[in-house]
Amino acid sequence: MFLAAHLLRPCTGLVDHQQRGLVMICVDSVSRSYRSGGEELLALDGVSLEVERGEFVALMGPSGSGKSTLLNILSGLDSQTAGTVVVGGQDLGQLDEGQRAAWRARSVGLVFQFFNLIPVLSAWENVALPLLLRKLPKAARRERAEVALRIVGLSERARHRPTTMSGGEQQRVAIARALVVDPGLIIADEPTGDLDARNAEAVLDLLRVLKSEFGKTIVMVTHDARALSYVDRVVHLDKGVLVPEQEAYLPEAHVTRAIGQELAG
Amino acid sequence: MSLSRYIAALMFRRSRLRMSLTAMAISVAITLVCLLITMPVALEHILSEAASMDRISIHHQAGLVYSLPRSFVRKVRAVDGVDAAIGTVWFGGVVDENRGVPFPSFAVEAEHVSAVYPDYGIAPEHQAAFEANRNGALVGQRTLDQFGWKLGDRVTLSSTVWPVHLELQIVGLIPRKNSPEVWVNLDYLDLALQEATGEGVGEVGIIWARVADPSAVSEAIQRVDAMSANSGAETVSETEQAFFKSFFGSLEGIVGIILVVAVLVGLCIVSISLNTASMNVRERTGEIATLKAIGFPTPRILFLLAAEPFLVSSAAGVIGIAVAYFLSLVVSGLSGSGEVLGPLASFTMTPEIALQGLVLSLAIGLLSGLLPAGMAVKRPAAQVLREVS
Repeated sequence: MFLAAHLLRPCTGLVDHQQRGLVMICVDSVSRSYRSGGEELLALDGVSLEVERGEFVALMGPSGSGKSTLLNILSGLDSQTAGTVVVGGQDLGQLDEGQRAAWRARSVGLVFQFFNLIPVLSAWENVALPLLLRKLPKAARRERAEVALRIVGLSERARHRPTTMSGGEQQRVAIARALVVDPGLIIADEPTGDLDARNAEAVLDLLRVLKSEFGKTIVMVTHDARALSYVDRVVHLDKGVLVPEQEAYLPEAHVTRAIGQELAG
Repeated sequence: MSLSRYIAALMFRRSRLRMSLTAMAISVAITLVCLLITMPVALEHILSEAASMDRISIHHQAGLVYSLPRSFVRKVRAVDGVDAAIGTVWFGGVVDENRGVPFPSFAVEAEHVSAVYPDYGIAPEHQAAFEANRNGALVGQRTLDQFGWKLGDRVTLSSTVWPVHLELQIVGLIPRKNSPEVWVNLDYLDLALQEATGEGVGEVGIIWARVADPSAVSEAIQRVDAMSANSGAETVSETEQAFFKSFFGSLEGIVGIILVVAVLVGLCIVSISLNTASMNVRERTGEIATLKAIGFPTPRILFLLAAEPFLVSSAAGVIGIAVAYFLSLVVSGLSGSGEVLGPLASFTMTPEIALQGLVLSLAIGLLSGLLPAGMAVKRPAAQVLREVS
């Protein structure tokens, strides 16, 4: 009853789809403002967005465009000051911080730019970390962590500490950690931002496999132009609002424009 | 991986050197605090063991260096409520004149020893021999051990107060635990003085009297002091326990200082471990944000962060207490045979002090765990993640 009441909230006309389970994310007129130095800063300004289940979406935009803010709101790490956010049928606005943490633990896998692995734990211990929140026998936790590591191709590195691994391997461990609770949604904040080209492609390949073979919904913030060929859709943000693709900032276009202006000027 | 394995990993795989040094600092401080708290307790113990409530000391109102007429002892014996009294004179005997005063030695009225000191447990045959032999001496076990003397030995003691050397025969033992005392016969000293200077002792330093009824001590004290009122030698009487307390009066100030130092040491370690725990938590800011992002509830993160300093402090506290206990045993053991540490024979750490040390270390662990951890988990994860990246 509770869930139904929230699902009936208007969300850019996709309520029916959500009820049928087609939509994973429904963002309706979401704004987020911060107070800084006595001024009100608007990080997001009436953003509306839907992401279908199993969709791989890239969020792009220049620094300060509101990408990370939107990502934080989608993952429940932050909350909007206006609008509605429904993820996997759950209206996040109805949850307090503790409830959002519990929801995140079972529904969302997070991948960060700088991996954020615990350096004193081995790869499998890092992967098993979210399972500490589940009432699972020790053996089951271990088994699930090993499966997640196998999916990302790092079974043989299970006992290694992050400090002995390459950046690409560390990011794959982080993806295994995000996967281990089998969430419907994976949110990645510039997962290739700290990787070289080869490792970046390996990570993007892996994310695509998660989408295509495991049906995961993936929302990824990226500045990496290579990502465009891996995703189903690109959403552009600028100054806190969604912008059409032709007006959008793209890394290559940005560089080309800058060079052109330099030459012309 | 279990939660305990995670905590163990955080403790033992991170900065082991820092953890060991912090634990060592806490251990040393807990040892110090325990030993410092033991001192006043030991002092109290010494007083209660050495002093009786039914024995009173009577001495000159002007101070211990002034004497009372020897005839006053007889008057005290006649006071209502007084069972027995004995006059004593500080003899200040030494075996070797160049070696100072290694043991307290007094000239006493031999025939009144057993009546005034029944609690000393002097064997009747030793008491009888002391009374029968003018040159007899009763010697404490510790002094016997110290000089390798035994009953029947003949020794010469030179007085540091009187111009005499007394040839003595050890006729008995003062069987009190660790007693360093030597008692010689006052009549023998009197005679030796008359031979040496033409004048006897004539006076006594302190008169000890035993009252018949311990509950009537204060009345007996009043009667004794009233007897000497307006005389040339007015007296001050008090129970033996009160006498020792005032005799060691300066120690009370020292005890106060010791307790202040103990509190300061405690505060120092709290500050040190708080600082270390804060540094630890600060280094783990990103980790805390990651745990929050993964979905760890705040109380669980708080527990994970606080567990390490709490466990370190508790373990260090137990080690510190064990070391303090061991040291107190060593000091107490040494005092049995040493010259200087004699009064520290009762320097033994009690279970209450161990408990206080444990409570202190647990409190340090809780404070240094919860305070920085509480501040760290308050920060929004999104903000911290932005900062660490």
